[in-house]
Formats: sequence, structure tokens, C-alpha cells
Amino acid sequence: MIRAPIRMLASAAGLMAQGVLAATLHVQVHDPEGHPVANAAVYAVPDRPVDREATPKAIIDQVNRRFVPRILVIQAGTSVSFPNSDNIRHSVYSFSPPKIFTLKLYSGVPASPVVFDKAGIVVLGCNIHDSMVAWVLVVDTPFFTHTDGSGAAALANLPPGRYTLRAWSNSMRQEAPGEPLDVSAEPLPVRTLEVPPEAPDPPDSMSMNAQMEGMVH
Amino acid sequence: MRFDSLRVRLVLFLVALLGVVQITAFVLINAAATSAARAKIDDELSVGERVFALELRQGAERQLQAATVLASDFAFREAVTTGDVPTLASALQNHGARIRAAALFLVDLDGKIVADSLPASMHQSYDFASLLAAARATGDSTSIMMIGDHALQLIAAPVRAPIPVGWIIVGFALNESVAQELRALTGLNVSFAFEAAGSWRLLASTLPAPQVRALQERLPAYDGAVQLHELAMPGGEHQVRLVPIGGIAGRHVVAVLQRPVADAMAGFATLRMTLLGLGVVSVALSIAGSVLIALGITRPLRLLLDAVRRIRQGDYAAPVDVHRRDEIGVLAQGLDHMRAGIAEREQRILRLAYEDVLTLLPNRVQFADQLARRIAQSREQSQHFAVLVMDLDRFKEINDSLGHGVGDHVLCEVATRLHGMLGGADAVARLGGDEFAVLVGAGRAGRATEVAAAIAAVLEAPILYEGQPLDVGASIGIAQFPEHGADAEVLMRNADIAMYVAKRSRSGLAVYDASYDTNQQEHLSLLGELRRAVERNELQLVYQPKVTLATAHTGAVEALLRWQHPTRGMVPPVQFIPFAEHTGYIKALTRWVLAEAIRQCGAWRREGIDLRIAVNLSARDLMHRELPEYIEGLLQQHAVPAQRIGLEITESGFMEDPVHAQRVLERLSAMGLQLSVDDYGTGYSSLSYLMKLPVDELKIDRSFVSNLSDDSSLQTIVRSTIELGHGLGLKVVAEGIEDARTYALLRELRCDSAQGYYMSPPLAPDALRAWLQGGQMPRDLRPPPTEQLQSRQQLSLAAPLSRV
Repeated sequence: MIRAPIRMLASAAGLMAQGVLAATLHVQVHDPEGHPVANAAVYAVPDRPVDREATPKAIIDQVNRRFVPRILVIQAGTSVSFPNSDNIRHSVYSFSPPKIFTLKLYSGVPASPVVFDKAGIVVLGCNIHDSMVAWVLVVDTPFFTHTDGSGAAALANLPPGRYTLRAWSNSMRQEAPGEPLDVSAEPLPVRTLEVPPEAPDPPDSMSMNAQMEGMVH
Repeated sequence: MRFDSLRVRLVLFLVALLGVVQITAFVLINAAATSAARAKIDDELSVGERVFALELRQGAERQLQAATVLASDFAFREAVTTGDVPTLASALQNHGARIRAAALFLVDLDGKIVADSLPASMHQSYDFASLLAAARATGDSTSIMMIGDHALQLIAAPVRAPIPVGWIIVGFALNESVAQELRALTGLNVSFAFEAAGSWRLLASTLPAPQVRALQERLPAYDGAVQLHELAMPGGEHQVRLVPIGGIAGRHVVAVLQRPVADAMAGFATLRMTLLGLGVVSVALSIAGSVLIALGITRPLRLLLDAVRRIRQGDYAAPVDVHRRDEIGVLAQGLDHMRAGIAEREQRILRLAYEDVLTLLPNRVQFADQLARRIAQSREQSQHFAVLVMDLDRFKEINDSLGHGVGDHVLCEVATRLHGMLGGADAVARLGGDEFAVLVGAGRAGRATEVAAAIAAVLEAPILYEGQPLDVGASIGIAQFPEHGADAEVLMRNADIAMYVAKRSRSGLAVYDASYDTNQQEHLSLLGELRRAVERNELQLVYQPKVTLATAHTGAVEALLRWQHPTRGMVPPVQFIPFAEHTGYIKALTRWVLAEAIRQCGAWRREGIDLRIAVNLSARDLMHRELPEYIEGLLQQHAVPAQRIGLEITESGFMEDPVHAQRVLERLSAMGLQLSVDDYGTGYSSLSYLMKLPVDELKIDRSFVSNLSDDSSLQTIVRSTIELGHGLGLKVVAEGIEDARTYALLRELRCDSAQGYYMSPPLAPDALRAWLQGGQMPRDLRPPPTEQLQSRQQLSLAAPLSRV
């Protein structure tokens, strides 16, 4: 555990050394029908491993019986904290093989964050609120981002080298095989990637209350 | 009951009409009820189908919930993530038992079975693709599949973690208990059937076993849509609805909903019974009602028929007792009027039939009735009574000469007198013509004779017609019951016979005697023979001399008729003359006698024998106006002067129809014929009346002469009669001289002529010639021969009757 931050620092230093040579890749993600896909993860996995510079931290809040953010991309080894902003309790769990865990019913900030140390797709749910779904994509690279509303994303500070460029939307049960990316001194052309459209949230069980209220009115 | 009677026809018609209406109504209602029952079953089946579908869906939803609950179970999901198949299988078995599912499958998102609750023998890959596709599309889905031998309703629910990671498929068996539940809900028999290779297999059914088999055999081929059928099932027809509930690869699983038609008809059965009862009651009521109405018509008709029968039988007394306001009442009234009319007319007819219109006395018919009653009554009480038959003398002459008006007046007067004098037990009737009859009640033996005498006395007083006295006498015959006849016919006949005897004998009265009857019997047969006698020349005339006393010379004879019957011998005139008079045959006889006498006279004259021949005429002969012409013709034919022919007419003969007789007699006298009054002294004729007639001679009746010599008073009568006759210028003849003393006495009394056996009996023409030629004996010296006396006495027995 301790080694990893040292490696990260080393690689960062290495990258910094080549700072002049760092590039930014612009990516446009769309679905098979050509519509731009928002909230899609875009990441480039370098062919040779890159040391983790530090243990990054991330937060998935629970607001109004929703995970915020719904989709989170993190580098493997990131510790994710699950604060509960609702005035009700939640019980966060995952049955996804990269990280199986359960946070027993709690409110406020749990005692310890959850460290996602294996790459893969982890789907989070709340044991007592079936409508609460969050996706955590754990990647083995520091070069990741996600698309904006127009399906555009940019990977900055890419040191030259060979990468596998991948895009992922939450409706994908597996990561895409990716496509090669060669970063050199030349400016990088904009890459276009295709993923299935973003999966919507499952229906909110509380919406039944709204329906009933609607019926009353 | 006769089928042509009005009542039966009326009843039959009404009952038949009602029956047709009832049957038609029943058939229509039955048809309507049956079709309503079928429609009702259809509705029930249709409702049942909807209930069934709803229940199936709701069941599926409940099961989906159960499945969803299972799929959401955290521990289960935890087990799923472990991927430990034995653990998963045991978990599925555990949950299946909890929710009473027949089978549970865990399949991955591609439909591949991860684990199931089935026993190892049934592990195989089942094709859930379509089920899952439907489930993905709609969120929930059910489908029926055959798993092994069981039809399972399968429901798929996603397993979320929290996004779908697989499917839980729950299978519930469509078994008996499901069917029973559905039956409880729908009220229909529910079966689940599975069609494989064109034949059906029943998976579960609420039907009893035999019907299950029947249903399995009889379910028709199936095309996948809802179908309605009618199937013959054991115990009756069922209406059946096939509802598809699932299927695999063209093999259909259907729910069979059915209901016996009889169930829906059950409610109608009571209606039908009610209808039948109503029908029976209404037919019975209609029979009763129509019988009542029919009786209302036929009973008065029967009464009318009774009335008609009574009228037919002659009972007019009872009025027609039907009082109604309808047509029958009018008919009854008409019938009653008819009855009254008939009764009145019958009374009139009866009066006419039983009463003599002229005299208003009972007629012959009524008299016969009275007589019959009297006979019956007298027979019972052993009484005697008598029948008097009375005939008016000289009535015919009055009627003929003075007209019927006078005749009717006489009859009425006689009737009045008889009616006035008779009374009590005696009854008088007019038998017809101038014949009356009297029924004399029981009494002494001689009473009938007294009544007869009384009648004669009553009729003695002359009947006045327009101031003119008419002399009417009567001859009465009496027959006594029972000695003269035991029945009406014999009595009447015998009274009749006696009456004729009385008339003939001028006695005015005769009681029947058996001896009359034999005569009568003979007369009846003789009458026919008499007609032939003239033709066969059986009649002959004999002549008895009239001797002039002063000279003992015979200047005249009286012609007497004899009938030599071929078998009976000599028939005395008394046996045929009265009946010849009655039948009118006397006319022919008289003509024959006149013809023969005048012929004989002519013959004798040619021989030189000059005799005047006297012929007897009956009163009836005087009725014939052509008699003078007839005699005139005969005289001319035989060249006989009228003076040589005499006509002898009895006193009563003159008196019967004096007016008419007088005219005829005056003509005869004018012709020159000699006229004699025969049997003078027996009648009631007045001499002064006789004097008006052109009479030449009186013949003193033999009753005065036969005992003359012994009876001085007779001698006085005869003497005065002779003197009277001479005083009037008439010749006087005595007849019946049987001895010399009388002969001498008459000569002494200055009688002109005499006739009798003493001188000579009636002789045939040849014997007379001989007698004349043999010289006439000196009558006053010679007594008559003994044998002649005997024969005279024999003959004299009949003398009073033989006035011919």
C-alpha cells in the first residue's frame, strides 16, 4: 500500500520531466444512432503501467435517495466515501465482483471509506431503496474523464506513448476492448467513440407516493 | 255422451281451443326458456371466461410479486452473486416451498438456466426465450408451459443487483385445486386441457371422472381462438367454452369452461311445472265452464224437447216452463203459444169429432166411447143397461119433400125433446141421419121399455114448422147388456136389428130377440143373392084370388112375390123385402113385379081370362116420380088397360111422405089404375087424410078378420069400417079369411070382396087357371079342407110380417 504512492510520484515526476511533450486528446462520444452520449467515461490505459502517484479520494453522496454522482470513474485504489445527506438511512451495497461490500444502514458519514482496488465495473445499490443505482468504473489509469452534455470530453496531459483508448456508458456490462492511441509530439486529432446510450435510473419507488398524491388531487 | 250433441261439441271445441293455446304457449315459452337458458349459459361462460382470465392474471401477479420478492431478497441476491449452483438450487427449493410454487428457475440474462428447483431427473434446458422477451418488454409476463407432465404457469421476475443480473422464473401448476378455486369463483366447471398431436389430454378438471373421459374424447380440434361448443356429456348436454391460456410450439393449452344446459333449465323446470299445472287447471276450469254454459243452453233445450214431446203425446195442459230473456226464451214462448193454439184447436176438433154439429148431441164416435165405458163399468159392477137405437119414421120423406131445412129443424126438435126428457144415467146421441141412440142406465128389467115408450110419447106431439104440424114417429130397437151382447159392436148391431124389426112391424118398439139375429144374418147373405135372383129368374109371382062375396065370382087377384132359391128353397118375403127396401133394391124388385104382373095380365087376357091384378107397392116406390111413366109403358107394351091393374099401398106407405105420395098417387089414379089401402086399421092414419087421396078400395087388415067370428067387438069394428068405406064410396076387401063362418059373416056384413086360404092360397099362374076353370066352390057351404087349414096355420105364423 505504501509503495504505490511512491510509484505514482515517480511516474509523475517522469511525466513532469517530459512536460513539454504532454498532449491533450479531444474525444467525441456518440451512440450507434449518432446521438452524443453524456456521462460516458472516456479513458486511456497506457501500455506500460504507470505508478500511482497517490491514493486519490472520491465521494459518492446520497441526496434525495439518489447517488450523486450516479456515475463515477476512478483510478483503481481510490477510496470512495459515501456520506449520507438524506435524513433517512441508506444501506449501500455492491455485488459486483471487482468490489463486493455492504455498508449497513447508516446516516451521516460512515466511519471509513471504501477503497476500490480492482479495475472493473461496480454497480452500487441501496438495500432498502431499489431505485438508487450508481456505477463506479474503476480503471487502471490516471487518464480518464467523462463526456459533457454534448458528448465531448478531453484527456489532457497525456504523455507520449501508446495507450488503449476506451469509452464506457453505464448500460455496458463490460468494458469495451478499446482502440489504440499513440501520443507523440504532434497534435492529436479528435477521436470519435461509440457507446450505447446512457441507462436511465430505475424508477423511484417514492414516485408511487407522487402517483397517489396525484390521484388524490 | 253422444258426440253429435250440442253440449259435447261445445265442450270439445272450447277444450281443444284452450289446449291448442296452452300447448302453443307452452312450446313457445319452452323454446324461449331454452334459448334464454342457452344465452344465460353463454353469458355465464363469457363472464366465467373474463373472471377466469382476470383470476389467472391476478394469480400471475400475485405469483410475480412472490417471485419479485424472492428476486429482491438480499440474501438470495447474495447467493446469486456467489454463483454456487447447489446453494442456489436449495435456495430455489426453499423459496418454492414458501410460495407454493411447483418449480423455480434462476436464469441468466440470456435465458440460460443457472439453477432450478426441479429434481435432477427433470434437469434440462427449457426455452424461456419468448417468456423473457415478453417480460423484458412489459415488465411482467406469464406463460403456460408443459414442464414434464404438468402445465405450469410461468412468471418471470428480474433479479436486480440493483441492475438486472438474471431472472427468477416461478412456475405454478394448473392443477385440481386451481381448477376448484376457479370453479368456486365462476360457478363453472373448469378443466385444463392440453392438445398434443390432435388429441386432447386433460390436465386437471372439476368434472367427475366419467365426464372427464367424455370431455377428453369429445373436445373438438382447436385453432387457438376462443371457441364455443355444445357437447353431449353423460347426464346431458353441456355448453363449453375453450379459452386459450398458453401454448408451446403450436400445442395448445386451454381452459375448458362448461356448464350443463340442464342447470340453467332448472329454474325453468318449476316454471314448466307451474305452466303444466296452470294448463291442467285451466283446461279443467274450461271444461267445467263450458259444461255449465252448455248446460245453460242444452238444459232449456231439453226442457223444450220435453215440452215438444208432451205436445206430441197430446198433453197440452203443462205450459212450456222456460223463462229466459235470450233466444231460447223467445223460442219457448213461441212454443207455448203453439201449444195453447194446438190445445184450443184440438178442443175444437174434439168437439167436432165427438159432437153432432147440428143437434149438439154427442155423435156416433162419442156414443161409442160412452158405450165402451159403460160396458167396462157394468162388467165390473155386474150391472145391466140397455142400448136404444131409434130411427125416425117418415123423416126421409119430410127431408126430400120439404127440404133439408125442415129436416134439420125436425132433427133439432127431436134432439131437444130427447135431451129434455132424458137425464141422469141416460145419454142420448145422434148416430147420423135420422138415427138416434140412447144409453139407458141400470135399473129394473123393464126400464128400457119404459124409456122407449116415454120417447115415443114425447115424439107423439107434432113438430111445428112455420105453424105447420109435422107428424114424426120413431121406431126403437132395444138391446140389453149383457144378455143381448157383451161388446159394443154386438149390442149396437142387435139394437139396430131390433129397431128394424120395430119399424117393419110398425110396433114402434122391439126388444132384440135372438131369432131376429138369424134372420138378419141370412138377410145379409141373401141380399147379394137377391140381385142375382132377378137375373137368374129365381123370382116368381103367385096369385091369390079376391072373391066377390056377392057373386062368389073371382074378378081380381093379388100378385105375391116368391123366391125359389136354388139351395135354400122357398125364401119367405119377410127375409128379403125389408132389406130390399133398405138398400133401395126394392125399386128393382117392384119393377120386376110390375113387369111380370102386367105381362101375366096381358097373357091371361089373350087367353080370355080377365082378371084385375093387384101389385103391392112399398112406400119407397112412391118416392119415384117416374113410376107412373114406367107403368104406362108396361101397360102399352102388354096391351093391358090401366083398369086391370091395381096397386096396394099400406097405410104407412101413404103416410110416410103424404105430400109427395099424394102427387104420385093422383097421377096413377088419373091413369085409371085401381088404388087400395092395404092393411087398413094397423096404422095411425086419419081417415079424413085418406079421403083426400084418390083411393078406390080399403083392405081390412087380417088381424081384424082372423078372429072375427069369435069376437063381437071386432065384428063391430069391421062392420063400421065397411059401412064407413061404403059411405065414402070405397070398396072394402077383407083378407085372411080362413073359414066358412068368417066368409059368411063378411058377406053378411056386406063386405065387397074377400081373400084368404079359405078360398084359395096364392097360386102359380097355371094352378090359378085350373082353379078358375075347376069352378068356384060355394064358399058359404063348403068347409075348407083339413090339410089346407094346416098349411094356412103354418103360413099365418109369418103373416103379421108378410105384408107383401
